[in-house]
Amino acid sequence: MVAFSQWLRGNSERYLLERAQTEMARRYLDRPGPPAEPGLGPMFWRRVFVPVYRRLPWSLRRAVIQAIPGSHRRHWQAREPVRRPPLV
Amino acid sequence: MPPRIVVVGGGAAGIGAAGSAKQVDPEARVTVYTEFEDAAYSPCGIPYVHGREIPDFQSLFLQGKEVYRQAGIDIHYETRVTELDLGRRQVMVDGEGGVPFDRLVVASGFHYADPGIPGAELEGLYYVKNIRKAMEWDRVLDDVRVAVVLEASPLGLEMVTALAHRGIETHLVDAHPWPLAEIADPDIMQPVEESWAELGVKTHLNTRAEALVGDGRVRAVRTSEGELPANIVVVCTHKQPSNELAERAGLKLGSTGGIVVDERMTTSAEGVFAAGDCVELPHGVTNIPVQGLSGSHAYAQGKVAGANAAGGARAYRPVYVPWGMVAGKWMIGGASFGETLATALGMPFVMGVAEGISRARYYPGVKKVRVKLLAEPGNLRLIGGQLVGQEGIKERADFLAMAIRAGMTLEDLAWMENVYSPPIGALNEPIAVAAQNGMASVRG
Repeated sequence: MVAFSQWLRGNSERYLLERAQTEMARRYLDRPGPPAEPGLGPMFWRRVFVPVYRRLPWSLRRAVIQAIPGSHRRHWQAREPVRRPPLV
Repeated sequence: MPPRIVVVGGGAAGIGAAGSAKQVDPEARVTVYTEFEDAAYSPCGIPYVHGREIPDFQSLFLQGKEVYRQAGIDIHYETRVTELDLGRRQVMVDGEGGVPFDRLVVASGFHYADPGIPGAELEGLYYVKNIRKAMEWDRVLDDVRVAVVLEASPLGLEMVTALAHRGIETHLVDAHPWPLAEIADPDIMQPVEESWAELGVKTHLNTRAEALVGDGRVRAVRTSEGELPANIVVVCTHKQPSNELAERAGLKLGSTGGIVVDERMTTSAEGVFAAGDCVELPHGVTNIPVQGLSGSHAYAQGKVAGANAAGGARAYRPVYVPWGMVAGKWMIGGASFGETLATALGMPFVMGVAEGISRARYYPGVKKVRVKLLAEPGNLRLIGGQLVGQEGIKERADFLAMAIRAGMTLEDLAWMENVYSPPIGALNEPIAVAAQNGMASVRG
């Protein structure tokens, strides 16, 4: 399970970042994104995983992330809540 | 009977743990094992000695070995722990055999990720970590004409700047479209790239290193854009947790490869604590575990682990990761995360950006400060921020991390009080202006 979660995290992080970097490089620097690695594996992550992940609502993505084993599943003090609603 | 506390690792976390354990229980018998010749120095200072900003390596040592002896901390230098035998409550140590413990603190640190390309066995590859090796490399650098730095990680940025200061022709090879692209945003990094160019640094971005080339000793780096000659290659890949011992002992590891701990820094085994680069901790905003933070994080975690190992009751908290550094002639920094990482995660956010100034507009030495704030849509609670400027960046990054932890909103920051004193602060605090701009963008 740990090996799987490391593999899943490593790949998802890499290809989600790659897509975000491509968008940001175009927007801010007028540059292309990182060069795409050839192969079926990278193609799966780039063309299947990333688009599917991006279509999921944030609440669902967050729930999946929380389900992965790790330190966040043990006891930690929570962040301070917002004390009052904004006036805007 | 005073407890026997064994600490595996003599870096910031290990030394923090040992000192803290003795503070909580002066009678505790604390033994530290380190594979290295020294403990308690600042490896983070090494690039600045190479860059000649700091005159010598001696200044990086915090304490002499005698100080630890006097404090009752028994440090075994150049001594390798080969096994954590949790069943028998002992560690196996080279030359000493089984050493029993009542509580154990694992602070086994990190190693640099394998660059994953042919030629990693060649001589002339510098992994910046051990101060003794750094002293040797510093003499080598006197004769180096061309250096290639692999990967624009935080250390990579520091080494690029240091080598350029040293007058060495410096090439940076990185597969991303801008430096530090996994942490910082492109608009934050653009001034850094420009100042590196002024220093003569050649950046090879969107470029993959494919092989290290040489016959016994490295003489070039083959990249996706051609071959770069090199007298040395500085390898600045990711910090990975050194957890071979922990894994073999059956301690639970998480998705980062770091040891799973709770807020008391206790691991999955009773009486076993862990701290520093070998653990993972939840990020305060996303609750996603993160690993490989700064020396200040490692030291603070070590203090918590050591105190609790000695019978105390301290808690560490989820991290909001204030960070900052000098790159080229700029200071960059931030807290939590920026636009790139929020976009990658798919987190919804609103943003406020401002170009402010660091002193009164008329005061000599006034510098620009760019601030970017990210907040949750709706309640406008702050979730991250990034900055670039030439002074006052570290203090603002620390402040933003506390503001995020405290649950502050853009509105809180927009109308914050701030110091106004011409030599040190402008009338309008750039963070407040960025927050006001963020609120204006929400109002449309």
